[in-house]
Amino acid sequence: MRVLVVEDEADLADAIARGLRRDGYAVDVAYDGDEAVDKATINDYDVVCLDLNLPRIDGIEVVRRIRADSRRPSPRVLMLTARDSTRDRIAGLDEGADDYLVKPFDFDELKARVRALLRRDAGRSGALLRVADIELDSSRHEARRGGHQLPLTPKEFALLRYFMSRAGQVLSQEDLLEHVWDENADPFTNTVRVTVMTLRRKLADAGDSQPIETVVGRGYRLREQP
Amino acid sequence: MNPPGWLVDRLPEWARSIRFRYTLLYSAVLFGLAAFVVAALYLVLLMALRGEPVSTGNRGKICDLQQVPPQCFTIDVFSARELERRVNTQTLAKLRNYSFGALGVLFVASLGVGWVVAGRVLRPIGRITAVARDIQATDLSRRIELPGPDDELKQLADTFDAMLARLDAAFAAQRQFVADASHELRNPLAIIRTNVDVALADPHADPDDLRHAITVVKRASDRMARLVDDLLALARRQEPVFEHEPVDLGAAVAEASDDFVVPAAARSIVLDRAIAPEVMVTGDRDALKRAVANLLENAVRLAPAGSRISLATGSEGDSAWIAVADEGPGIALDDQAHVFDRFWRADKARSRADGGTGLGLAIVRQIVESHGGKIRLQSKVGLGSSFVIWLPIASTAPDPSSRPSPAPALTPADRARTRPSFDPPSD
Repeated sequence: MRVLVVEDEADLADAIARGLRRDGYAVDVAYDGDEAVDKATINDYDVVCLDLNLPRIDGIEVVRRIRADSRRPSPRVLMLTARDSTRDRIAGLDEGADDYLVKPFDFDELKARVRALLRRDAGRSGALLRVADIELDSSRHEARRGGHQLPLTPKEFALLRYFMSRAGQVLSQEDLLEHVWDENADPFTNTVRVTVMTLRRKLADAGDSQPIETVVGRGYRLREQP
Repeated sequence: MNPPGWLVDRLPEWARSIRFRYTLLYSAVLFGLAAFVVAALYLVLLMALRGEPVSTGNRGKICDLQQVPPQCFTIDVFSARELERRVNTQTLAKLRNYSFGALGVLFVASLGVGWVVAGRVLRPIGRITAVARDIQATDLSRRIELPGPDDELKQLADTFDAMLARLDAAFAAQRQFVADASHELRNPLAIIRTNVDVALADPHADPDDLRHAITVVKRASDRMARLVDDLLALARRQEPVFEHEPVDLGAAVAEASDDFVVPAAARSIVLDRAIAPEVMVTGDRDALKRAVANLLENAVRLAPAGSRISLATGSEGDSAWIAVADEGPGIALDDQAHVFDRFWRADKARSRADGGTGLGLAIVRQIVESHGGKIRLQSKVGLGSSFVIWLPIASTAPDPSSRPSPAPALTPADRARTRPSFDPPSD
C-alpha cells in the first residue's frame, strides 16, 4: 500500500513517514502543495495524508487537482489539520477528503484511519483480511497460515497485504512496485522478484501448497481457493 | 417627568411603560388646555352677562283705558332687569354643567387617542427592542435596519447598527485570533506527539533514532515556548500604556541593540548604529526595547550574510523616531498591508523553520500604538525593508490625541548611504 504524506512541517512529515514505513507502507513525502500534485500525477497512491494548511497551494486545492486527474484512480484522502471548527471539517469533507483528523493526533489513530480508508477499497470490514487459509491482521501486524504465524519482514507483510486485498487478480511487477514500494525503490533492480520469492517460500513452509502462482508474462496471482 | 421609585415598583407592567406615561401626560396637557379654554370662555360670558341689561332703564306708565276713569300704573323697569339676570344666571349654570360634561368626555377620549397615538409613535422602539433581543440571543451579524424616514428613532436604530457592526468585527477578530493561536500551537504539539508516539512504538529503536526524535521534540517545544511568550506579551498589553516613566530613547535602543551585535557578526552582517542622545519619550522602557529588538531580530534573521543593517534614532519637531533598515529580501507591495497582522508570514514554511512566530511585528505595532505612536514600513523586493517608529517626545506631555503624523519617506537611495536619513514627519 502506497501512501503520500503532504505536510509542510518537515519534522511532522518525517515522523509520520517513519511510523508508517515501519508498518510496511510505502511512503513518499511532499513538503508543499506543488510537490504533492507533482508526485500524485507520477505515482499511484492508495492513501494521501494531507495537511490542509500548506504554503502556495492549500490542501483543498491539492485534493481538487488530484481528483481532477482522470488518468489515475483517485486515492483516498485523509485530511490532517490544526483547524478544528465544524465549518473547516465540512469544507474539507465537501472538497473531497474521505476522512479528517485534527492535530495533534494519536499516531495509532492515524494508522487506524489509514487502514480504514484502505478497507473501503478492499470492500472488507475489520482489520482482519482472510483469503483461503491465510489470515492477516493489519492492526496487530500479524500474518498466519493455517494457524502458524508467518515470520514476515515489513516489506513482505506489505506485499502479502496487497496480494490479499486484491486476491484473484493478476498483479504485474509494475503494480507491485507502484503500490508496495516507495519512490526510493530502484525500478531496475529485481527487488520485487526477490521479495515475492521469499514471501512465497515462507507461505509454502507454513502450509502444503503455494497460494501465490505465477501467471507467465503477466505477473502473480493470489489464489482465492486453496 | 419620572415618578418616584417606590411608586414605579408597585405599578403593574403596562402602567410602567413609556406608552402609558406618554398617554397620561398627553391627556393631562390636553385636559388642562381644554379646561383653561372653557374656564376663560365662561368667565368672559359671566362678565358680559352680569353687566348692564340689554334694555335701558326708562320708567313708563301703562293705563287701562276700558275702565272709567282709566287706571294707570307706573311700570318698574328694574323688575325686567331682574328677570334678565335670572335668565342669564340659569344659562351660565347650564353652560357650566355642559362644559364639565364635555371636559369629562374629552378627557376619556384624549386618553384613548393618546394611547393609540403613543403606541403608533413608539412602535419602532418595540421593533428595535425585539430585534436587539433577538440579535443578542442569536448572532451579531444581524442588523435592525429600521425602515422609514430619517427621524430620531431611525437615527437610534442606525446607531445601534453601527455599534453592532463594531462589536461583530471585534468578536470576529477575537475569534480569528483564538483560531489562529490554537492552530499555531497545535502544529508544534502535533510534531512532539507524533515523534514521541513513533519513537515509543518501536521497541528496537537505536540510540540515533531516539536522539533524533528528542532533538525534534526540543525544537518543537522551543518554538511553542517562544509562541506562548509572544501570545502572553500580546495579551498583557491590551492596556493603553503600561508604564509611565521618562525613557531615554537612545539609551534604551542602544541597550536593545547590544544583544544583536554578536548574532549579526556571526552571520557577517554589519550592524550600523547612529543613535542621537537626549531624546526623551514617556512610556514603558522594557516594551520599547522589545519593539526595537523584534525589528532587529527580523532583520538579522532575514538579511543575507554580509549585508548591512542600519539602526538610527533621532527627533523631528515634537516626534522622536527609531529606524531599522536592512538589505533583506524585502516585502512585496501587496503584502505590506499585512505584515503587522498577527500570524502573518511572507513565506510560511521558511520563516517558521527560521523560528519566527508570526507575532513579532504585531507586538511592535501594539507597543508603538499604545505609546501614541505610529510605525511605517517602506520596502522593495530585493532591496530591503525599513521600519520607522514615530513616538511623541516627552516634553510635549503625553497626549494620545496628538499623534505624530505620517510617513517618513525612506527611499532605496537613502538606504544606500551609510547613515540612513529620514524626512521629518509632515502634516
